[in-house]
Amino acid sequence: MIEVSGLRKSFAEVTALKGVSFSAQNAKVTGLLGPNGAGKSTSLRILYGLLKPDTGWAKIDGLDVSLERLKAQARLGVLPDGHGLYARLTAREHMAFFGRLHGISPDVLEQRSDELIRMLDMQTIADRRTEGFSQGERMKVCLARALIHSPDNIVLDEPTNGLDVMTTRKVRELINELRQLGLCVLFSSHIMHEVSRLCDEIVIIAEGQVVAQGVPDAIRESAGEENLEDAFVILSERAARL
Amino acid sequence: MNLLRALYQKEMIDGLRDRRSLFSSFFFPFLAPLFIYGLMTLMIEQNTKKETIELPVIGGEYAPALIQHLLENGIEVTAFSDDPEQAIRDKSVDLVLEIPADYQASMAAFELTRVGMIHDGSRNDTRATVSRVRQLIRSYSSELNALRLISRGISPRLIQGVQPKNEDIASEEQRAANILSYIPIYVLMAAFVCGLGLAIDTTAGERERRSLEPLLINPVPRLKLIFGKWLAASTLSAVGMVITLILCLWTMLALPLDELGFRFSLAKSQIPLLVLAILPVPLLACSLQLLLGLFAKSFKDAQSYIGILVILPVVPGLVLQFYPVTTSLWMYLVPILGQSLMIKELLGAEPVAFAAYFLSFASTVATSLGICLIAARLLDQERVIQG
Repeated sequence: MIEVSGLRKSFAEVTALKGVSFSAQNAKVTGLLGPNGAGKSTSLRILYGLLKPDTGWAKIDGLDVSLERLKAQARLGVLPDGHGLYARLTAREHMAFFGRLHGISPDVLEQRSDELIRMLDMQTIADRRTEGFSQGERMKVCLARALIHSPDNIVLDEPTNGLDVMTTRKVRELINELRQLGLCVLFSSHIMHEVSRLCDEIVIIAEGQVVAQGVPDAIRESAGEENLEDAFVILSERAARL
Repeated sequence: MNLLRALYQKEMIDGLRDRRSLFSSFFFPFLAPLFIYGLMTLMIEQNTKKETIELPVIGGEYAPALIQHLLENGIEVTAFSDDPEQAIRDKSVDLVLEIPADYQASMAAFELTRVGMIHDGSRNDTRATVSRVRQLIRSYSSELNALRLISRGISPRLIQGVQPKNEDIASEEQRAANILSYIPIYVLMAAFVCGLGLAIDTTAGERERRSLEPLLINPVPRLKLIFGKWLAASTLSAVGMVITLILCLWTMLALPLDELGFRFSLAKSQIPLLVLAILPVPLLACSLQLLLGLFAKSFKDAQSYIGILVILPVVPGLVLQFYPVTTSLWMYLVPILGQSLMIKELLGAEPVAFAAYFLSFASTVATSLGICLIAARLLDQERVIQG
């Protein structure tokens, strides 16, 4: 379970977050929806311990990220904004390295790697160095790296950004699978139909504030619009005027 | 401990697979001894060349006794009749001796007799020849003076005055060590060159390829991340440095240094002492490189900062060469300076105090750890991720 409350964050002269609060429950997929620059990545970076909030807190399974960073990070699997890989390491070596950073024993690590390679269809690329991987192949390695330690909470920052149809479908399948396993999945996106199809809960963020939160139907209702995309636009514009 | 091993192993694998950067880093250890060999061979050749000075003389027939004196001292005198200034400008001759036609008359009248030495004072390569000939003319003159005094019944000892007496107390090894003072420069430079590729790649490179963020979201203390990178870079740096040391020593042993009047001997027991003395240098070099790599805005930025760092080991070497200070114990506390001194002393077969090993080791390692702590703090700052 992931909770953030009253997050405020400023960079130099820009106020990125003006008090963001939301939560994501276990066995549910929560979508963080918002236009570019709304504060999605900043919120997530605070959540996984990369940035410190000016005020407010972020908790993972009740552990405050600022106070108990290492314990909180251990319970979290992250697909961050940066998709950088080590070009000279193979896909399997990536999993091994990040698994070891989480303190996983070698035999568990091997089992889990094989499982993820099957799950993500990586059989042909598992033992190749990642140099020259396609966007989709890179994304698979990033996902495997995020899931290697079987975390209870998953945060995905724009997981389908720049992917082809096949890989996008694969990622969506994976998100559904993770929900069925009872995990807490939080992902950010600016693609409306993706969010409406996948999510149990939606959090709409605009101008550094949460403008709506709830099940998709409730959000449509609060904006007075049939279509989720229209609802999103109206809510975002309402926030911009404030 | 497991965590640190995982970090170290990953950096090592990554670093060793980076063939291109590895080759360019390890070019240095093999280049340095080659350079020494070339330089020293040239020096030996110049110094041992049997000096048959050829001296073109104008009007040699006017001063047969002087010419005889020159011949007796191994100068090959040849008659010369061209324009001396032009010939020197053309570099066809180094020096021309011109004896005036009134030489005999002037000598007979006991007047001051001048012989012309025409040369180009801006040429370094003829300086030795000029001073040799000048010295021979002076010695001829003083012999002549003595004879003149004797013929008048005066002892030549009356005009002897003061003369310097040469007493060089440096042992042959010490004189050699002075010549060898660039070995510490090369060896310490190798420490700064060989780990450089990995140090940049794992800091500025890590950020530029956007793999720093995925790394930092793992439950790993920042200091451990730095330690993993630091130890991996230091390993490469230390290997390169020891290779440079061994190859430089081997080169020195292979050279016929005794022909220069130096003796360079190396007991087997000295090598471990040398290695022990310089071992903390890679730790210092790599900690500085990591810090600069994290501090730099981009990969290119990091390369230029860290490139400047390579000059660092040259500084104490140069200072010691041109400003020879008496060694005192505090100097061993200064990283790089302490190690430069110890290499010089060990190569010169001078005793090195135990305190020197301890002080230089402790202070250099402590400085490196301090720099690592700063680097870990830097890694905790948001600036590092934001770029």
